[in-house]
Amino acid sequence: MKIPFILEIQPGAMLIIGLLLMLLMFWIFWPKRGLLALLSKLKINNQRVHLEDALKFLFDCEYKNTICNVNSIAGNLNINMEQASRLVERLISMGLITMNDEAIRLTDTGRSNSLRVIRVHRVWEKYLADETSMAPADWHNEADRLEHFVTVEDTEKLAAQMGHPVYDPHGDPIPTIDGELPSPKGKPLNQMKAGESGVIIHIEDEPKYIYEQLVVQGLYPGMQVYVIHVIENKITFAANGEEYTFTPLFAAHLTVELLSDKAPEKQKHDLLSSLSMGEEAEIAGISPHCRGQQRRRLMDLGIVPGSLIAAEIKSASGDPVGYRVMGTTIGIRKQQAEQIFIHRKKENHYESNE
Amino acid sequence: MDPLNTDLKKEQILSAANTIRWDLGMDFHDTVIESIYEDASRIARKSVKQKGDKGAYSMDLKIDRIVTSKWLGFPLMFVMLAVVFWLTIAGANYPSAMLSAFLIDYLHPVLNHAAASIQMPWWLAGVLIDGAYLSMAWVISVMLPPMAIFFPLFTLLEDLGYLPRVAFNMDSLFRKAGAHGKQALSMSMGFGCNAAGVIAARVIDSPRERLIAIITNNFSLCNGRWPTQILIATIFIGSVVPAQIAGLASAGAVVFVAVLGIVFSLVVSWGLSKSVLRGEASAFSLELPPYRPPRILQTIYTSMIDRTIFVLWRAIVFAIPAGIVIWLVANIHIGDLSIAQHFIDWSNPFALVFGLNGVILLAYIIAIPANEIVIPTILMLTVLNSGLSGMGAGSGVMFELDSTADTASILHAGGWTLLTGVNLMLFSLLHNPCSTTIYTIYKETNSVKWTVISTFLPILLGLAVCFFTTQIWFMIMG
Repeated sequence: MKIPFILEIQPGAMLIIGLLLMLLMFWIFWPKRGLLALLSKLKINNQRVHLEDALKFLFDCEYKNTICNVNSIAGNLNINMEQASRLVERLISMGLITMNDEAIRLTDTGRSNSLRVIRVHRVWEKYLADETSMAPADWHNEADRLEHFVTVEDTEKLAAQMGHPVYDPHGDPIPTIDGELPSPKGKPLNQMKAGESGVIIHIEDEPKYIYEQLVVQGLYPGMQVYVIHVIENKITFAANGEEYTFTPLFAAHLTVELLSDKAPEKQKHDLLSSLSMGEEAEIAGISPHCRGQQRRRLMDLGIVPGSLIAAEIKSASGDPVGYRVMGTTIGIRKQQAEQIFIHRKKENHYESNE
Repeated sequence: MDPLNTDLKKEQILSAANTIRWDLGMDFHDTVIESIYEDASRIARKSVKQKGDKGAYSMDLKIDRIVTSKWLGFPLMFVMLAVVFWLTIAGANYPSAMLSAFLIDYLHPVLNHAAASIQMPWWLAGVLIDGAYLSMAWVISVMLPPMAIFFPLFTLLEDLGYLPRVAFNMDSLFRKAGAHGKQALSMSMGFGCNAAGVIAARVIDSPRERLIAIITNNFSLCNGRWPTQILIATIFIGSVVPAQIAGLASAGAVVFVAVLGIVFSLVVSWGLSKSVLRGEASAFSLELPPYRPPRILQTIYTSMIDRTIFVLWRAIVFAIPAGIVIWLVANIHIGDLSIAQHFIDWSNPFALVFGLNGVILLAYIIAIPANEIVIPTILMLTVLNSGLSGMGAGSGVMFELDSTADTASILHAGGWTLLTGVNLMLFSLLHNPCSTTIYTIYKETNSVKWTVISTFLPILLGLAVCFFTTQIWFMIMG
């Protein structure tokens, strides 16, 4: 019988062929950078992306009461002047904007169009933050990518699923379907005076490098801040027991709503993970970094401010730890226990252990 | 009332509600839950009196300190699981032999005689009795007893409250693989039956970790594959070592394959959580319920109905058509050869590159309803393909031999070597789940995408592992 060709290949050559095939498969299927991922990126319609991004930017200028021109559009979208002026011409011909001298303004149609894009963007940001385990720094970019090809219907379905959220994870209000948006609240941190305190209600997510640094520093919407002193080019404030010193440029990315009636919390919280076996404490709250499903789950189990919690048993490998709360024992991983704040009781009563 | 007017009012109310929601701020959901708890605990303080709870709980705590202790935790767990598996394997032999004696050795010839006496056409008798009936009978007799022992035992441990502690102890290992501690439970369940293991993944409430547990469950060597592993290890591994340690060597080889399965399950879990499942939602919490005396009768009843009968029924539903296909491919001829032989001849060169052969590939395709019928199918096809006379029960009729030596001589006649045996053991671990499991995965995930991934990912892995084993083997052996 004739020996089939495939069996005549030397094992060494065969091994190399096998390795090459595996490499090829990795190259094709690798997430984000593989061939398939690149092909799917190519499908995105660049023109639509630019149009929608320009509309969003124009609305943002209007909301913040700043003037917008071709130059700033080019800067924001990261395109050259020629492309930007072509884009503006196109927007004018579509009846979405008007141009007076240098200043560009949205028409009513343009405004409702841009509000729709903004709604899609913020609803998806909310979804990514709460219903997926994507890193905070990626929410904005992923939503930026998604907003250009998801349909309005899908977005509405998603919004309904999440109970029609009104704020995105950065603290920005989400426009209603009819395009309503509340007037901006609070003031930028760099305009606050020493001794004032308030709550961060918004962290600007653009440009990305500043946003990422703010997130890394542990700042989040809902955090209480207390301005200690302001000198030229430096603003120093306390938040969650830590002291921060920012330049006005950075501080301007934080919007703060002033609190007058509440005394600022200056003490730093202890973390649940710091409890030793047998120790009991009162829960002070859950960090806003713990979101969505995980947060709901913890709260459902009785991890709410005011309830008592005690560390009871350590698993054989040390993590997770079993905590007793509301009459039941729950295993919680260290990673989550580090996101739960507690108040230690004055006198620690230890049970006999080990 | 004027309908237009009500509509207008509704609009106003809705837009007013929206404005208010903006004023409420971001964390109003938290405030709602907090106030519900506050109210609930105020009511409870007023009306609920506790007594005696503390005593009972301190007992629990004492047990917990032992079963989760650094030194005793893991050994206790291994002993407990080993006992369960030993009881299953040892206890299932006898009822399995009885069922097989009745359904296959006794009833099958009776049915054949009956068919002959009413002069049923030979092909109809072949399809119905040698195909459909035999495959169903086989699945029942090898599947039912182990499941009827394993599931109640497992459910008893669960009811007792011990299994959550296993998950608690194992969590740190699974956390590093991006998975949930409860995957230890669905994985152990998978050693009994992958379909049941996939269903058991329901206890994982986090979507991402649940998908990981479902996709990787197939890497737990299920009940249907243990006998294959033991048989092949005895024939091929046992024969290359001195006779005194043959038993030990083949048992070691089977344990090695099972452990390899666990390693694959962890590595694939890690890979999945870092790639395709990266963005899926994930949440962790693990309730450690109080210990309680198990409700034995109720446990046996529910585990029989919910797990054993349920899985068996799905297996039978798939076994019947597969039995028909098995008989047909061996009996329909194109030219001189049957369809089975055509396929085997055509796929042999390809299969040899992976250190397998055409018979094995065909057997794994047509014996998809249950891993239990893979070996009988392989034997039938080997006899058919190599034209051994005086062996087997006829073309398309699956069979098994009581003596391992006879089985070995058939396989050697079919051209099997030590390498084929090793690769079969690897491929038996790493191939598509049985059709019952595939269907269960579809039912549980409700997604074609994840079903396809769980089906083909193990095949690709299996082919890759066999390929490299074979080629490296050839290199070394020259």
